[in-house]
Amino acid sequence: MEDDLLWQETESKRLPSAGVFILNEGNLTYDNASLSFYDYSTGEIHQDIFYSINGLPLGDVAHSMTISDSIGYVVVNNSGKIYAFNTHSFAYAGKITGLTSPRYMHMLSLDKAYVTDLYAKSITIIDPLSNTISGSIDVRNNASAYYQHPTEQMVQHDKFIFTNSWSFDDKILVINSETDALVDSITVLRQPASMVIDRFNKIWVLCDGGLEGHPFGHEAAGLVKINAATRETEQVIRFDEEERPLDLQINGTGDTLFYINRHVYKLAVYDGATAEVVIESNYPPGYVGGFYSLGVDPWSTHLFVADAKDHVQRGEVYHYSSGGLPIDTFRVGINPGYFCFKTNH
Amino acid sequence: MQYRILTYLMFLILPGALFSQGIRDSVFRINEVRVQADERFKKEQAGVKSSGVDSLVLSEKINLSLSELLSENTSVFIKNHGRGALATASFRGTSASHTQVTWNGININAPMTGMTDFSLIPVYIIDDVYLKHGTGSITEMNGGLGGSVNLSNKVQWKPGWQVKYLQGLGSFRTFDEFLQIGAGNQKFQSKTRVYHNYSRNNFTFVNRGIIHFNPEKEILEHPLDTNDYADYKKYGLLQEFYYRFNAKNILAFRYWGQHADRTIPKATSYEGPDHSNLNSQGNLDHKAVMEWKSYGINSTLEAVSGISLKDLDYQLVNRITGLGEVPAVHSTSTQRSLLNHITYTYKLRKKLTIKARVDMNIHSVASKDAVAVIGYEGQRQELLSMVSVQRNFADRLNLNFVLRKDMVDGKLLPIVPFAGFDFKVIRGQKWHIKGNVARNYHLPSLNDMYWQPGGNPNLMPEEGFSSELGTEYRMDLDQLMIESEITFFRSDIDNWIIWIPSYKGYWEPRNVKNVLSKGIELSGGMKVEKGAFRYSVSGTYTFTRSLNFGDQDIWGDESYGKQLVYVPVHSGNVYFNLEHRGYTFSWQYNAFSERFTTSSNDVTRRDWLYPYFMNDLSMGKELPMEEFTLSAQFRIYNLFNETYHSVLYRPMPGRNFMLVLMFRM
Repeated sequence: MEDDLLWQETESKRLPSAGVFILNEGNLTYDNASLSFYDYSTGEIHQDIFYSINGLPLGDVAHSMTISDSIGYVVVNNSGKIYAFNTHSFAYAGKITGLTSPRYMHMLSLDKAYVTDLYAKSITIIDPLSNTISGSIDVRNNASAYYQHPTEQMVQHDKFIFTNSWSFDDKILVINSETDALVDSITVLRQPASMVIDRFNKIWVLCDGGLEGHPFGHEAAGLVKINAATRETEQVIRFDEEERPLDLQINGTGDTLFYINRHVYKLAVYDGATAEVVIESNYPPGYVGGFYSLGVDPWSTHLFVADAKDHVQRGEVYHYSSGGLPIDTFRVGINPGYFCFKTNH
Repeated sequence: MQYRILTYLMFLILPGALFSQGIRDSVFRINEVRVQADERFKKEQAGVKSSGVDSLVLSEKINLSLSELLSENTSVFIKNHGRGALATASFRGTSASHTQVTWNGININAPMTGMTDFSLIPVYIIDDVYLKHGTGSITEMNGGLGGSVNLSNKVQWKPGWQVKYLQGLGSFRTFDEFLQIGAGNQKFQSKTRVYHNYSRNNFTFVNRGIIHFNPEKEILEHPLDTNDYADYKKYGLLQEFYYRFNAKNILAFRYWGQHADRTIPKATSYEGPDHSNLNSQGNLDHKAVMEWKSYGINSTLEAVSGISLKDLDYQLVNRITGLGEVPAVHSTSTQRSLLNHITYTYKLRKKLTIKARVDMNIHSVASKDAVAVIGYEGQRQELLSMVSVQRNFADRLNLNFVLRKDMVDGKLLPIVPFAGFDFKVIRGQKWHIKGNVARNYHLPSLNDMYWQPGGNPNLMPEEGFSSELGTEYRMDLDQLMIESEITFFRSDIDNWIIWIPSYKGYWEPRNVKNVLSKGIELSGGMKVEKGAFRYSVSGTYTFTRSLNFGDQDIWGDESYGKQLVYVPVHSGNVYFNLEHRGYTFSWQYNAFSERFTTSSNDVTRRDWLYPYFMNDLSMGKELPMEEFTLSAQFRIYNLFNETYHSVLYRPMPGRNFMLVLMFRM
């Protein structure tokens, strides 16, 4: 009977200002993902905003989020669905179900978007206007081992969508968004985990190098620069063998990369630029935990770095200026893994 | 995500355990009180707190699993992932691997995880279960920082044949079948048990993880959902042979084999395609143990040799268009253990006993995932030794000193001491004060050391220092027995092992935490016979503060000094049984206080598990015939149809029913 009492409460809020949504993954199978919102104008943090407004828990492993117009789409990986909500009122606006293990959503137009998937071996085409699945793009390869061609992040150049196949894979798949067909693939280093595109239409892919001792192979992690037009690799920046960089991001003007490699680094996209520490981690070298995720505000280039602590308590987010000066610190939910920025515009 | 699934598997994949049977004359009726005289004032058990499950309760709950029995009738807290699903123990606020489980003297915790899934152990095959609380378990084995659960089968030298058949029919398409056949004479006894247990397990629940638009009411509402993909099945055989060479030498052989298949439910919020995200797990277990006991005038020699084989098969399958059902994870493992020990007890004088024990165990594990092409092979060799001295003084004071010295994989571990006492407060009365102080340690599991990716062969053992003090009282009158016990315990555990995601992108174990577990255990019972009426009441209450004094390296850690996740501060149970002219009535009550699912103990409506109270009733009738006896029992579980959760978002069944019919001759 306690259940009924717990689920009756809902709040009502209107928060039209700019800010950042923090997606807290929660713990796998525990259905305890949550959505936090940090309001720039007040510095206030609204915890678990989707749940408190709608009386609906976000689900199991909230993985990514995108905003189209005023609608936010939260991809809830192990719940097999995407929730849509109004980013001003936070009110539930629908759901897209029937997804096997969705990861990221990329808007192509108001009525068409792609959703990548860890297990479906296809990219799902959805219609965000009707919240329905309208098709799929087969991305299977013929390899039997490793369950290859899971699709992950997406960047767009012209009509082509590039998506990285991360787990036990080394490919960037190229999709023609007009024909909805897989048209090409680019081999990079092992396990391309994250990816951005810069102002010069160069795709930067951060590869973690794979697992040591694994038959798929292992190599030092690296940052690969690809010309989106020619699909040629132009540069490979290798990391030291023991380094494991993660979470590649780019600023709004598309000229500076950011990533976590124990500390937070920034790297200009220009030739000859070198990486420099912008936020230093207090955790010792080789520490098992540490910084968990990174967000870069596309308008202010403010940096948000999440610390998941012990992964079973509310994580903490550190807010820095673009130059790395600390501004604020606030608590969010369990395993803050993704930032999505909301503008006034 | 892939790594996370692989790591999740490591916790999920628990091999089963085993067992065997015994002495129950009736499912519903047992005439004797199990603990008699002043059996509890024994110098050999001085300072060791032990408790059992009454044979009456064992009989009544014969077709349940051990997880339900322990949860309802002992002070062990069971974290239950759902009806029929993974169930692990927390004893005195410690973690699941800190409870050692033995069957007929051999340790049956899975070497991979160091744990036991109690839902896979049917009560059918247990004749006796007793718990050793805290470091009292050190008299038999290391690693029981929380304690040990000891299961055994016992022989009855009764000539002739005994047959028992049980048929259970329950809600959610639950079927139980159990057949036991015993035969023998004063020299040889054989007992065979076979059983089968299946449940579709498709109960309904309000799914708070999903919202639907109701076009009639024009509102969004949580739907009434079915607990799909949660069916379970297990079947097994237990065979016992006993041979008595003479009055002083007894040989026993026991074999237990079981196959269990379970579907593991998806997250309740899952709204993907029907044929995706399908999780299933199969466990195949074989155990065999040979035991020889030789009784001399002043000595006892016991030699036990056993094997434990566990095969496990876990799959996560998705339906891919054009390919059919494709496993995304297919993890298999084989675990082999050879377990041997020899114990020699010698009474130097009436009041002085010495005991020595040596264990030689080999565990080997091969685990692999066929899809990710990843796995490990690991082995552990253990040479464990123990000596103890027990002395009685003036029939009032018992002292018990134990020293352990163990060698694991060729490395000597520090000496582990234990000192305990029992003091009889008033001569002639069964009122004792008892206590102990001890060190203990717990070795990392083979998964902790070798799991790929992430295992750390350099992990240190978890080390505990514990103490306890308590008093017990028992009064036996002609038609009345009353017993009660209270114990204060404290255990300080260093190098607590936890798994957390690393900067390498996968999970790794670390020795980080210090945990202080302290609390009070209270138990009591009463049995009365008055005319044709017999009734009994028993109960336990446990207060557990299990506090995390953890990782100082984490910035702004909010978990410091907080209660460990999923450990209730208060838990308790009451069992009442009434019997009159073949009619039986019993009531089982359980209560658990709030539990936290975050290490920072946040009380939010999503992360917090509210207290719950459970009431079960059962009514039975026994019909003795000339050649045989028939009996029937009707049970109501969750009488008040409470909504409750043992694990976050895992649904539990509402009111449900079970009819048990039994034939016995």
